Amino acid sequence: MTKKRILLVDDEKSLTTLLKLNLEETGSYDVRVENWPEDALAAAREFKPDLILLDIIMPRMPGGNVAAQIDNDPALKGTPIVFLTAAVRKWQVEDNDGIICEHPCLAKPASVEEVIAMIEKHARK
Amino acid sequence: MAWLSSRVTSAGRGNEAGLATNSVDNRPIQLLLVEDNPADVRLLRELLKEISGSSFVLTVAPRMSEAQARLAAESFDVVVTDLSLPDSRDLSSFRELRSVAPTVPVIVLSGLDDESLAVSAVREGAQDYLFKTGLDAHILGRSIRHAIERHVAEQKLVRSEAFYHSLVEHLPQNIFRKDLDERFTFANQRFCQLLDKSLDDIIGRTDFDFYPPALAGKYQEDDREVIRTGKIFETIEENVAPDGETMYVQVVKTPIRDAKGKVLGTQCIFWDITAQKRFEQQLQRKNEALAASEAALRKSNEDLKSAQLQLIQAEKMESIGTLAAGVAHEVKNPLAIMQMGVNYLSKKVPAGEESIAMVLQEMREAITRADSITRGLLDFAASKQLAVKPEDFNQLISDTLKMVRHELHKKRIELVKELADKLPKVAVEKTQIQQVFVNIFVNAVHAMPEGGTLTVRTFARQMTGTTHSEGSRSSAHLWMGDTVVVAEVEDTGTGIPQEHLVKIFDPFFTTKPTGVGTGLGLPVSRKIVELHGGTIDIKNKPDGQGVRVTVQLQVRRENS
Repeated sequence: MTKKRILLVDDEKSLTTLLKLNLEETGSYDVRVENWPEDALAAAREFKPDLILLDIIMPRMPGGNVAAQIDNDPALKGTPIVFLTAAVRKWQVEDNDGIICEHPCLAKPASVEEVIAMIEKHARK
Repeated sequence: MAWLSSRVTSAGRGNEAGLATNSVDNRPIQLLLVEDNPADVRLLRELLKEISGSSFVLTVAPRMSEAQARLAAESFDVVVTDLSLPDSRDLSSFRELRSVAPTVPVIVLSGLDDESLAVSAVREGAQDYLFKTGLDAHILGRSIRHAIERHVAEQKLVRSEAFYHSLVEHLPQNIFRKDLDERFTFANQRFCQLLDKSLDDIIGRTDFDFYPPALAGKYQEDDREVIRTGKIFETIEENVAPDGETMYVQVVKTPIRDAKGKVLGTQCIFWDITAQKRFEQQLQRKNEALAASEAALRKSNEDLKSAQLQLIQAEKMESIGTLAAGVAHEVKNPLAIMQMGVNYLSKKVPAGEESIAMVLQEMREAITRADSITRGLLDFAASKQLAVKPEDFNQLISDTLKMVRHELHKKRIELVKELADKLPKVAVEKTQIQQVFVNIFVNAVHAMPEGGTLTVRTFARQMTGTTHSEGSRSSAHLWMGDTVVVAEVEDTGTGIPQEHLVKIFDPFFTTKPTGVGTGLGLPVSRKIVELHGGTIDIKNKPDGQGVRVTVQLQVRRENS
C-alpha cells in the first residue's frame, strides 16, 4: 500500500514538526511541511499531494488565498484541502457540517486522531 | 363779585334770607329786554320791581341790532323780547337772537293778536311766551324763573348727552342696542362702519340682515340668554376672517331695563382682541417651547450621562474581552504543539516503562485542562458579560420599530419591511441590540426631516471572509464560515458627507444641534455590536440616495 502524500502548510514551525512526526509515525503518510504560505503553491506542484492541510491565519498570505491558488491551478485542480486553523472554533465547524468555504475544516487544537480521521475521509484515494 | 354791584340799576339786592334769585347762586338776574316801546319798557321795569324773591339787573335794547351787540359782548341770564322791532319782525327777531346767543333762554312778549306767532317761537326753542296785556309781576316772575331753571336743566341735559354721545361714538368699541324682538335700536358709528351701513340702514333690522344665518342665530341666542337671565353676558368669540385668519372678539351684553326693572332689550359692546390674543398665544407657545427645550435639555443630559456610562462599561468589557481572547488564542497553538508532542512520545514509550507512560498521561490531562480554560476565556470574552439568549431577530427588529413608530409617523416616513422567513435565532442581549437599532432608526429619521422611506431588511448568509482589524488577531470579529444574520437599514435622506464618514464612530462627533445629538449613539452602538461578536457598517448607498447601515450578528448554538 502506497503512503498518502500530505502537504502541511502552517507558519507555526513547532506544530508542523510535531504533526509531521505524529503522522509519519503511523507509517501511512508521507508528509511535506511548508512554513511559508507563498511557497505553498510551488511545493504542491512539485509534491503533488493527495491532501493539503492548510492553516488560515498566516503572515503575508491568508490560507484562503492559498486555497484559491491551488483550486485555480490546472495541474492541482481537485486536490483536497482541509483547513486546520485556530480561526474557527469547534462549534462553528460543527454548525456547518465540517465545511467552511467549500472546504472541510478542522479547528485547532485538534488531536492526531482527529487529523487522521479527516485525512482518511477526504484524501484522494 | 364787585362787578355785579355796579350793574344793579333797577332793583336793590335781594335782602331776604335764603332768597334764590338765580339757580346757580343768589346774584341778581341779568335780564336783557328787547323792546322799542317806552311804555312797555316802563311797564316791565315796574313789574320786575314787584317780583318778590328776585332782584334784576335790567338792560334795555330798543333794536335788534343793539340786542345782538349786547348779547355778543355781555352775559345775560334771560332775554325778554318783543317780536315787532323797528329793524326786525316776527320769528326772524327770535331767530336772530338765538343765532347770537343760542344758550340764553328767551321769553317772547306777545300781543293778543299774534299768539300763533309766539307759539311758533316756543316750538323753535323759546322758553315761554307772555301776553303784554294783563301781565302781572307774579306771572312774569314765575315765567322768568321757570325759563332760567328749565334752561339750566336743558343745558345740563345737552352737556350730559354730549358727554355720553362722545363716549359712545369715540370709544374704540362697537356698541349697539336691540329690542326684545332682536331689532337694532341703536348702533354707534364704529359699528355702522363695521357693517358698512348707515345708522338708518341698521335701525329696525336684525342680525340675519347682516350675518350668515349660523352666526346671526348664535348672536340672538346670546341676546335671549341675557333677556332670560337678566344678567351680564360675557364671551370671547372666535371668527374666521375671509383671509382665513382667526379673529377674537370680546363681547359684553347687558340687559336694558325700564324704571321698574323690566327688561326692554339688550345692549352690546364688543371689540377686537385678536392682537392681544395672538400675543398671549405667542407667549404661551414660547413658554411651551421653553419648557420643552428645558425637558429636552434635561433628557439629553441624562442620555449623555447614560451613554457615557455605557461607553465606559463597553470599553472596560472590550478591554477584558480583548485581553482574554488574545491570551486564549496565543495559548492554543502551543497547547496543540504540546498535545502533538505528548501524542508522539506516548507511542515511543518502551515496554515496562510505566512511569514514563504515567507522566505522559498526566501531561495529556494538563493539556486538556489548559485547553478548557482557554475555551472558557474565549466564551467569557465573547458573551459571558452579556445576558445573551437566543432571540428571534425579526421579532426584535419589529419590537424596536414599534418604539420609533411615533417618530416615523410624525415625520411622515414610510416604513418598508423586507424580513426574511425562517431566520436562525441570534444569541444576543435583546435590550442591548434594541438600543443599537433605536440609534440607527433615530439617525435615519433625523436624516429625513421632510419625510421619506425607511427600509429594513433582514437575511442570513455565511461569511466568506474573516473580519479582523489590523494588528489584532483576536479582537471580537466574525470568522470565515460563520453564519450571520444581517440587518440592512436604509434611509432616503441626504447621505453622509465623505469627510464625516470616517468620524461617525468617534465618540462625541455629531452634526446634530446641542441637545439633540450626544455624539455617543454610534460609538456605543458599535461597542455593543462588537461585544456580541458582530459588525456594524455605515455607507452611503451607491445611488447616492441616503445611507445604508449594515449590522451582522453571529448565529451560534445555544450550548456551544
